[in-house]
Amino acid sequence: MDGQLDLTFTYKNNKTIIKDVFQKAPLKASRGLYVQDDSRLSMYIMESSGGLVAGDSNKLSFTLEEGSDVMIHPQSATKVYPTLYDETSRQSIEISLAKNTNLTWQREEVIPFEGAIFDSHTVINMDSTASLWWEEILYPGREKRGEFFTFKKYQTLFEVWRGDDCLVYDPLIFRPADQTLTAIAVMENYHFLASLWIVFPDSSFSVTSLQEKLTELEDHQVSITQICENGFLIRWLSNHLAQIKKDMDQLKEALAPR
Amino acid sequence: MKQQNEDSQNLLNTEDISTKFLYLMHIHDSAFPIGSYTHSFGMETYIQEDKIRTKEDLFHFCLTYMSENIGYTDGIFVKLAYEKLSLQEWDELIRLEKICHASKNAEESREASMMIGKQFMKAVLPVSETPSLKKWQEEANGYNHFPFVYTLYTYDMGFDLYTTVLTYIYSSTVGLVHNAVRAIPLGQKAGIEVIHKLIAEMDTIAKQILKRHIEDLSNHALGLEISSMKHKFLQARLFIS
Repeated sequence: MDGQLDLTFTYKNNKTIIKDVFQKAPLKASRGLYVQDDSRLSMYIMESSGGLVAGDSNKLSFTLEEGSDVMIHPQSATKVYPTLYDETSRQSIEISLAKNTNLTWQREEVIPFEGAIFDSHTVINMDSTASLWWEEILYPGREKRGEFFTFKKYQTLFEVWRGDDCLVYDPLIFRPADQTLTAIAVMENYHFLASLWIVFPDSSFSVTSLQEKLTELEDHQVSITQICENGFLIRWLSNHLAQIKKDMDQLKEALAPR
Repeated sequence: MKQQNEDSQNLLNTEDISTKFLYLMHIHDSAFPIGSYTHSFGMETYIQEDKIRTKEDLFHFCLTYMSENIGYTDGIFVKLAYEKLSLQEWDELIRLEKICHASKNAEESREASMMIGKQFMKAVLPVSETPSLKKWQEEANGYNHFPFVYTLYTYDMGFDLYTTVLTYIYSSTVGLVHNAVRAIPLGQKAGIEVIHKLIAEMDTIAKQILKRHIEDLSNHALGLEISSMKHKFLQARLFIS
């Protein structure tokens, strides 16, 4: 199935609203919710098919017009089912952030099942005054079935551009059959990979003080780095999913712009 | 007579190739001042965590560094940069370097690549006939990442793509072994053994890189990336990165 979801948000009379929506099953957008105040709109992405089956393709696009403030979260984890004939399940996301916009993407995990092939491409074009908070978690298989990195291929490319300047270009390819993923310097013995990308126009926080706040546990590594003048990446390699989410929540409380 | 002319021409070619080869040896001399002895690209974090202690540990680390990191990141950038240069696609080359810059997530490793690149340009430009590298310095307004300035140099010197990729792998890895020998510490003999074993693998990795394209770029050496990110916060450090 080929799902599609195109949304445009705008800011009018001190309120972020959905200006335009196009949706094609199995993708659907929830109505806009206002958790704290009218300036920020929260929205769930709903997927009625229960996951991506071999050859499925989902295309999503989000346009945030000047001043809008949006929090998007998928309703549940993205499950990628096995493929019999090597068809790739695809997801593409295009985002445009105009002046003084703020986007938070609160992500559930992507779970590629044994034998799955997943290819995801996300491109964000943002104005220099826009803010971005982007969370991603790879859950590499159905844990209860003992699946860890038993998918065929998991490929993602995350790009963020500000005009001609490339702020983020993060390609990841896992092909467990061809790579020594458990080797030192690769995934070692970690199961979960998580990333939090932050781009704030006027960020002035210190990476050293943030690093001190992040919890180091056995089987749980996390570190922060500055990726550009106003951008930061926090990356986790961990066997403790709950701790990753706890860290993300803690960071959000300390850093989120509004 | 004809045979004699051909022989003398062959001799000239051989001399020309041999002289070029000496220049290549010179830029890979450990005393060549590009500062690679001050960078560990995250390896020092592993050494401090006691995860690289023996020559076997060092060999496995460097092998993974070559095959899973260089082979999917800088190695591909070298290959693509060489191709753009061959086609004289200057704007594409500049755009490619922007992508390379943005793909290096860990701040210290990104800075290290630029520092070494800048030092390399400073060292070779006054003494070499390298029009592309000179043009890059004057017009590109680039970041001067090492895989790019290295490729501009080897291209100008007339080395082929395979040699460029192979020697880039050599340059990136052998420097790490020298640094590890000092930091762990290991004996010189252990370092030589590790380098000899790694050299045997470089041809295979170079040939794999030659088959790769921009879609094959991958940052999946994530343990190394986090180690490089954490390096900034180590209490005491021998290396800048």
